[in-house]
Amino acid sequence: MDTGGTIPEPPAAPDERDRPRVGVDEWVAKVEERRETHRGLAGVAHRILRFVPPPARLALFVVVAATLPLWMGRGDLFAYGIFTLLYVLLGLGLNVVVGYAGLLDLGHIAFFGFGAYLYALLSSEQYGIHWPATATVPLVVAATALLGLLLGIPSRRLLGDYLAIVTLFFGQAFVFFVNAANPTVAGKGLTGGPNGIADIDPLSFFGYELASRKQQFYFLLLAVALILTGLHFLSESRTGRAWRALREDPLAAEAMSIPVNRLKLLAFAFGAAIAGFTGCIFASVLTAVTAGNFGIPLLITIYAIVILGGVGSLTGVVIGAIVINMSFQFLAPENPQDNARLLFYSLIILLLVLTIRPLWKLAAVFGGVVALGVVVERLVDALAPSWTGGVVVEGGRLAGAVGHWVIIPTGHGRFANVAYVSLVAAVLLLTRLRGNARIVALVPTIYLAAVVWETSFVEQPAVARWILFGALLVSLMTVRPQGLLGTPRVEIV
Amino acid sequence: MKRTLVLAVLTALVAAAAAVTAFGGNAGSDGSGSSAVPAGSDSALIRCGRTRTIGVAAPITGAAASIGSQQLRWARYYVTRYNASHRTKFRVVSGDTQLPDTAQAIQVAERFASNSRILGVVGPAGSQEVQVSSAPFRNGGLGYVSGSATRTSLTNDGSRRGYFFRTVPNDDQQGPRVADYIRTVLKASRVVVIDAQNSYSTGLSDTVEAILKNRGLSVRRESVSEESTTDFSSLVARVPGDTQVVYIPWQLAPKAQLFGQQLRAAGKTARLFGSDGLFDPDSFKIPGSLVSFFPIDLKSKVIAAYRRGPGKGSSELFGLPSYVAADVVVRAVDKACRNGTATRGEVRRNIAATLIPKAQSLLGFTVKFVKQAQAPLAPGDMQRPANFGIYQISASGAYVRVS
Amino acid sequence: MELPLAFDAQLFIQLTVNGVTLGSLYALIALGYSLVYGILKLLNFAHGDVYMVGAFIGYGVLTALGGPLSLDIALVPLIVLMFLAAMLGSGALGVLIERFAYRPLRDAPRLAPLISALGVSFFLQNSALLLLGAGFRSYDSFLLGSNQPELFVPGPLVDPVFVIHGVNVQTIQVVVLSVTVGLMVALTLFVARTQLGKAMRATAFDREAAAMMGIDVDRVIASTFFIGSVLAGAAGVMFGLLFSQVFHLMGFLAGLKGFTAAVVGGIGSIPGAMLGGLLVGLAESYAAGYVGGRWSDLFVFGILILVLLVRPSGLLGARAINKV
Repeated sequence: MDTGGTIPEPPAAPDERDRPRVGVDEWVAKVEERRETHRGLAGVAHRILRFVPPPARLALFVVVAATLPLWMGRGDLFAYGIFTLLYVLLGLGLNVVVGYAGLLDLGHIAFFGFGAYLYALLSSEQYGIHWPATATVPLVVAATALLGLLLGIPSRRLLGDYLAIVTLFFGQAFVFFVNAANPTVAGKGLTGGPNGIADIDPLSFFGYELASRKQQFYFLLLAVALILTGLHFLSESRTGRAWRALREDPLAAEAMSIPVNRLKLLAFAFGAAIAGFTGCIFASVLTAVTAGNFGIPLLITIYAIVILGGVGSLTGVVIGAIVINMSFQFLAPENPQDNARLLFYSLIILLLVLTIRPLWKLAAVFGGVVALGVVVERLVDALAPSWTGGVVVEGGRLAGAVGHWVIIPTGHGRFANVAYVSLVAAVLLLTRLRGNARIVALVPTIYLAAVVWETSFVEQPAVARWILFGALLVSLMTVRPQGLLGTPRVEIV
Repeated sequence: MKRTLVLAVLTALVAAAAAVTAFGGNAGSDGSGSSAVPAGSDSALIRCGRTRTIGVAAPITGAAASIGSQQLRWARYYVTRYNASHRTKFRVVSGDTQLPDTAQAIQVAERFASNSRILGVVGPAGSQEVQVSSAPFRNGGLGYVSGSATRTSLTNDGSRRGYFFRTVPNDDQQGPRVADYIRTVLKASRVVVIDAQNSYSTGLSDTVEAILKNRGLSVRRESVSEESTTDFSSLVARVPGDTQVVYIPWQLAPKAQLFGQQLRAAGKTARLFGSDGLFDPDSFKIPGSLVSFFPIDLKSKVIAAYRRGPGKGSSELFGLPSYVAADVVVRAVDKACRNGTATRGEVRRNIAATLIPKAQSLLGFTVKFVKQAQAPLAPGDMQRPANFGIYQISASGAYVRVS
Repeated sequence: MELPLAFDAQLFIQLTVNGVTLGSLYALIALGYSLVYGILKLLNFAHGDVYMVGAFIGYGVLTALGGPLSLDIALVPLIVLMFLAAMLGSGALGVLIERFAYRPLRDAPRLAPLISALGVSFFLQNSALLLLGAGFRSYDSFLLGSNQPELFVPGPLVDPVFVIHGVNVQTIQVVVLSVTVGLMVALTLFVARTQLGKAMRATAFDREAAAMMGIDVDRVIASTFFIGSVLAGAAGVMFGLLFSQVFHLMGFLAGLKGFTAAVVGGIGSIPGAMLGGLLVGLAESYAAGYVGGRWSDLFVFGILILVLLVRPSGLLGARAINKV
């Protein structure tokens, strides 16, 4: 073929995202994947992590966590410390099923609930049985593992999303059984119905009771450390490698004579065992369990932790739990709103600093936002004073500055709603713009965000934190689909 | 590469700064954890400044959001009215307990207990939430007044004496009143009792069913999940055509309205009898139905002002006891703060000694708490004449008190 | 558990009518799930919230035109308007969600779009909570269009159209059923006969090959989301007209049931979604009517699990063929 002496270029990819082209060598195809892992802040994290070996990471985590009770109040220790560790444990259990074995298990919370209820039955006033934890915990773990096996058996025939549905049913069935069915055993409702089981004993090992929050926290920390170590060895072992093979390509794994069915059952059992253990601790910390503790919202949170941290990565689960629970608790209504406000503005500033490259553009945006705010506020104050009559809710340290910058109307009920919808539209529009247009559009959008924050979000912080959580999930996933520490996967055609 | 490192360090610094401001400021003025007297506790002396703080624990999001947001609005409304007419001001710190997930309730309780500025709490809403919150509140010395937790054992088992109070009668008061009315006034002989598969509902249903069965009435018991059921037609089909009274101690008035409409559409003429959760002239309006509720004055100016203001057109009467609860807590704090300082223990004792005269009470009777247990009342419950009135819904949807 | 002693024909027919009505709703939602799954292998957990938004749009139209008790226009044009507004609004929302939350994740590992969908779901639910509050909004369908609402005279929606064996079949039930059947017929014809429908089938079969054949995959996917969301919006308005109460969490419950229906019928299959929806609706109705109370939900799950264990890919689902 005569092409005039030049060799034609290979055709460009159909869109701007790099995709492996048909017929190209696999190592070459993985170039993008390797580059992705090293890009940006997460890349820095990756490199640090590679530098620090797992035992050192664990030691660092334990040491930092152990200092928490020294500077956190009791309430904060409970919300930030104990609950983060509980989420870590739950995430680790789910990680075994979803991350190691690749099974989409939407009923995992049922194991957690089963463990909690069984512990409650054995250590509370319900039937007057008060076994010490040295007896109940191993029993509960074994029973939950058995339940995991039982669930795994019929699930072997099901693939992918069908497994998801059956496990989801199982989860829902457990909640209904416990809440509504509540069969009468030995004269009493077994699970206490909607009231649940109350007055659960704290964990007691050889007479030593874990009654105070500090003791519970340290016990949890110990448990997390031990389980992390165990899982690390498990993941490096033959079973762990077999699981990874199963996750990557079940057909190829079977062709390599890996006992796929047995592995699936093992994954279920292991994940269930960890969940059951967490259930014991949960029941003893809360001292009462009801069906409402084990619903879908918790399932979603745990999935978010595992996936955001990076499926299959132990450090990822820990970091995911810390990030999600900490931010959730930080934005809680019980936390004075001036703290949340500080976080909000710091995050905006940080985001700007991270994404705008030349320094002068950054300065221009900052200046623009401040100037816009002050100008608008003065104008509106002069023309229609009722539109700036509002008070900065729980102002604290920033009340004065914010009050002169943001317009907060009183008596105009619809304004907050309109501002909110406009903000959503503005943010979506922002993602479509490029270059200088984007930078210019940033200025009013940021001001609008501040207005929405001051008028709606601080008034209803409980709702606002869910909205921010949802937005966080979407943006984190679109920016980094493989999670913080997961490996990006590239499909070969 | 250098830039990203700089940015990473910056991020870490910001996070650390945020953490320090958050935890440093929150744990109370005299440090946290390491001091001899923990920051939030029974006997810690707090200086009462011009602004005082109470906590409100309610399910603001989640499946029970319609209940919790009402309670929060009513409690806030009390504080707004108080602030408008007093020199000292009160501040509300809210906590989202996300019923039915009690794990959130206990976190809220722990954080309230640690927040040394909080002197008293309104809430929590659900009986299960009271159960998990008991230990944290007790450890923190906080008194808490609930506007909706009706399970009798919460006061009768004595374990929360001096800490837990409620501005609603308990299940063992409402149940017999309703059962008596059904038996003696309505003179019914065939009754269906439908519980809503939650704590509040099963308690009342069990009581009423037991009393009526004891007296020889034919009682059929049904059960439905009021939260997740959207179509009650199957339930309606299970109600026999000759039933005279259907007792529905539910909490969601719109669901009860739907059930009633479907019942009528199916041609069944049984009279509906709702509990205090259904007292909602805006949502539950089946003519001829009966509802038990406090003997409140429906024409009260406060209710009308609430309707115009935070209620945005609806009276949201389920949350009204939370207004009274806020009243109780605020009065107790004020009394304790008279000498400039207060302790949480003092506030609790003042709550136990509350006396709100009938003229100032929104509930329609004097608010006082019981000191000696006499079944079914126990310390923490309101004294008689705290009891329910029975209202009937007229043909035009208006609520008229009949008993 | 109380089982009837004799076979009560009236009860059975009543329950069947209820079940079919409920089933139509679930079928419409399930269709949205199936369509999207067929093309993207994505479980769109935000679909239930699109349905919720549709119901609220219908409520908005109702309030704008005078509210349930004092309508400004006649009943029939009102209902048509509500449907149109809700369908268009939901469709637009569906396209928006796809554009911003799913398109960047098209080649991502399977779990990432799941989390993104959940994030969208949280966002939509709580935005509704923020903007409109937690209270239930009522279509007041019992009294809608009534000429004497103060006297609680029922409106035309609950008037019986015909009576079988003593069981009233209400106008609104007939309307819901006919609109559902109409939409499904339209959808089937659309997918089978039109070019866009053919493109959708091709993309569902093999996305890479379809792209190579010159099909604009982005446009096809956007259209799929649009159609699925339109159906969900219609279902939302139907729910409001049947059961009156709309609130910010209704999408979560209905979405779960719709998802179940889609999977039971065979996810990815359009007739499967319709059949699955019907099955779930009927199962729920019979269970609530015959089993009652505490055990009814468990009973429904039991039936569905049984179906899946017997036919693991759903009733009409394609047998998964793994090509090596």
